[in-house]
Amino acid sequence: MTVIWTQGGIVENDPWISHGAEDAPKLLPLAEALEHAQDNAPFGVALQPADDVRALAPILDRVAIIALTFPAFSDGRAFSQGMLLRERLGYQGEMRAIGTVLLDQVPLMLRTGFDSFEVDHAPTIKRLVEKRLPGIDLHYQPAADQTDAGASYNWRRTAILNG
Amino acid sequence: MYRYDEFDHAFVAARVSQFTDQVERRMSGEISEDAFKPLRLMNGVYLQLHAYMLRVAVPYGTLDSRQMRKLAHIARTYDRGYGHFTTRQNIQYNWPKLSDIPAILKELAEVEMHAIQTSGNCIRNVTADHFAGAAADEVADPRPYAEILRQWSSVHPEFSFLPRKFKIAVIASEHDRAAIQTHDIGLQLKKDDQGRFGFAVWIGGGQGRTPLLAKKIKDFLPEADMLSYVTAIVRVYNLHGRRDNKYKARIKILVHETGVEELTREIDAEWAHIKDGELKLPQADIAAINAYFAPPELGDRAEGWGELAAWKKSDPGFAEWVGRNVAPHRHPDYAMVTISLKPIGGIPGDASADQMDAVARLAEEFGHDEIRVTHEQNLVLPHVALADLEPLYRALLADGLATANVGLITDIIACPGLDYCALANARSIPVAQEISNRFGDSARQADIGDLKIKISGCINACGHHHVGHIGILGVEKKGEELYQISLGGSADENSSIGQITGRGFGPDQITDAIETIVDTYLAHRSSADEPFIACYRRIGADPFKAALYSSEAEAA
Amino acid sequence: MKTAPTKTKVLTANRLTDGISVWLGANGEWTTSLKDAFLARHEDAVAAIETAGQQALDDNRVVDVNVIEIEETASGPRPYRLRERIRADGPTIDYAPDFTASVSQAA
Repeated sequence: MTVIWTQGGIVENDPWISHGAEDAPKLLPLAEALEHAQDNAPFGVALQPADDVRALAPILDRVAIIALTFPAFSDGRAFSQGMLLRERLGYQGEMRAIGTVLLDQVPLMLRTGFDSFEVDHAPTIKRLVEKRLPGIDLHYQPAADQTDAGASYNWRRTAILNG
Repeated sequence: MYRYDEFDHAFVAARVSQFTDQVERRMSGEISEDAFKPLRLMNGVYLQLHAYMLRVAVPYGTLDSRQMRKLAHIARTYDRGYGHFTTRQNIQYNWPKLSDIPAILKELAEVEMHAIQTSGNCIRNVTADHFAGAAADEVADPRPYAEILRQWSSVHPEFSFLPRKFKIAVIASEHDRAAIQTHDIGLQLKKDDQGRFGFAVWIGGGQGRTPLLAKKIKDFLPEADMLSYVTAIVRVYNLHGRRDNKYKARIKILVHETGVEELTREIDAEWAHIKDGELKLPQADIAAINAYFAPPELGDRAEGWGELAAWKKSDPGFAEWVGRNVAPHRHPDYAMVTISLKPIGGIPGDASADQMDAVARLAEEFGHDEIRVTHEQNLVLPHVALADLEPLYRALLADGLATANVGLITDIIACPGLDYCALANARSIPVAQEISNRFGDSARQADIGDLKIKISGCINACGHHHVGHIGILGVEKKGEELYQISLGGSADENSSIGQITGRGFGPDQITDAIETIVDTYLAHRSSADEPFIACYRRIGADPFKAALYSSEAEAA
Repeated sequence: MKTAPTKTKVLTANRLTDGISVWLGANGEWTTSLKDAFLARHEDAVAAIETAGQQALDDNRVVDVNVIEIEETASGPRPYRLRERIRADGPTIDYAPDFTASVSQAA
């Protein structure tokens, strides 16, 4: 079972989910996306870890969703891609983690700008649904997420917790 | 030294809870071993031959007596009564149970210690000059910057799954006592001609299968730019470092394959975007961290001069110890004392729980409560009054901690090797012990002079054999242990990678081979004042090879 | 035509909870003593221990499961590889001389 999860919960009928409906829009690889951008139809992009995210700059306003790939959880390139998309390119749309998405990397993904997650690992789905993430709310560095700087050292941040 | 504030305490407590939860999920099977492995590595937990191994961080090699006592307590309570100090200034325990590690981490947190990121493909313990804050030749104490880097790199969301491990070292003098050229990033604190602080920056050093020395890419990086520049380097590495081959994944390979100029261009291009952003270090923050490292109150103890002279005269053993293990301090009435963890025939870098307690007690009594761990697996009391050297020596002698061999041939650096380590191909400790016993005579050692032997039990080079004056690498050939020798390595400001002599030697021949090398040096040195490394650089490898391989009967 | 006799094998792993080296015993339990390991002399036996190993992995009892070759000697099974002999006998050096181990038998 594959689900799409955001901090708001499981997303029903997500159009971009892998192995979704036959006629659903597909996430395009980078080269195709750059071509396709001429059309007016909404499209999504799925980048591979070796792709240069800056190539998306000219078409960013036309992209409906950007998915970044974690082929193995040990491949951390998408964390940097995420940071660059948010901070360098100023991308404000949906940014999704796909590939191998496991519970213990989700807090790091949230901090590097991801806001939706495609998950098929059952124990991970369970904990996400229960909102029991294994993250630490105190941070020793700024990242792409919204945090409180507080009065302490310049590099420290605190998570903004909802109520 | 740095003291945790509320934020630090809360963070470390949260980290312990996080790992406790991860261990529970592992035990129940919710996480597979594959998925658990990087998580446990980022908490310093290895699986070795016989048991787990826990590597506890000693940030930039600095600790106080309270912390050392806790390390002794952990050794006694959860392990087999001893610990091993490492070539990255950390401590390792060889027998902890996974099920006990949450409790161990909780105990460590009580004394402001942890095991965060001492392993894994992330930024590791930031090491520093073990004489920081006491050495006469430093421009300032480099450790505040190491502390800032330690904080900033802790659970960094972008840099927790790098292509491979990432090691940073910081010094503040021309004389490099922290081997910065063998690190992924080396930083040398400097002052410009207006008295402002900044760093010379090196990148791409590393040992292992492909030893390479770092290249200097910046002459002077203003201190305020330290975090942004390091971010740029690590980000470029994270995106472009190789992920297809574990042995080609360090930044040194990226430097080698991309070319240092091109890679520096990429780093500088990235840096240009972030240098004036939120990572710029405010002066106030640097000053605040600096304040933690204010030197202790060192009162004048001028009586030490006369006393020292008298003691040395009456006790040759004490005089020898002062000659080898005691170095001058910035303050003329004080000294920097190295506590040798290399007793003749002993296990290099190991200390029993009792010995750790002894060092804690002596640090309180004679050392202004400060202890250091060196990357050569010894301990240091950096602030000892000359007037206290003799009672300190007596106490160290009683605890087997006064071997007068710092920098000598028996001050061997050795990894745990095949006796412990799942990665090893050969044993290193018995080789170290045999060499130590062979050369144990103090007169002979003194005659040989400065000679660093470094031994690794496998290509991962945790024993730093590539930068030993004599390096020994244990390999496995046809099911048997074999030892390759390299000569002429060095880890100081004149760093060099050792050159392999030729065929390897079996366990029964290696000590004789070392003796042959030493004899060759003694025969060729220009005077007793020419140390081994200088002699080797002058005469080259040929005389040594000729001596080692002249008897063709020695087939490996 | 003579074929080389297959070497006897045993199954070894490390216990998940404490990392201690263990060997699969004759009764299907894990033992901390190599002497008590089940000796797999034939193909079927080797297949059986491999299956048992996978099961133990799946049950989260052990990690790092390996089939290793041993020589049957008068004093018991002796692994061919030095590494495995060290795993069985412990470090070859006198570490922690003050320590007295109390190691349990069951995995």
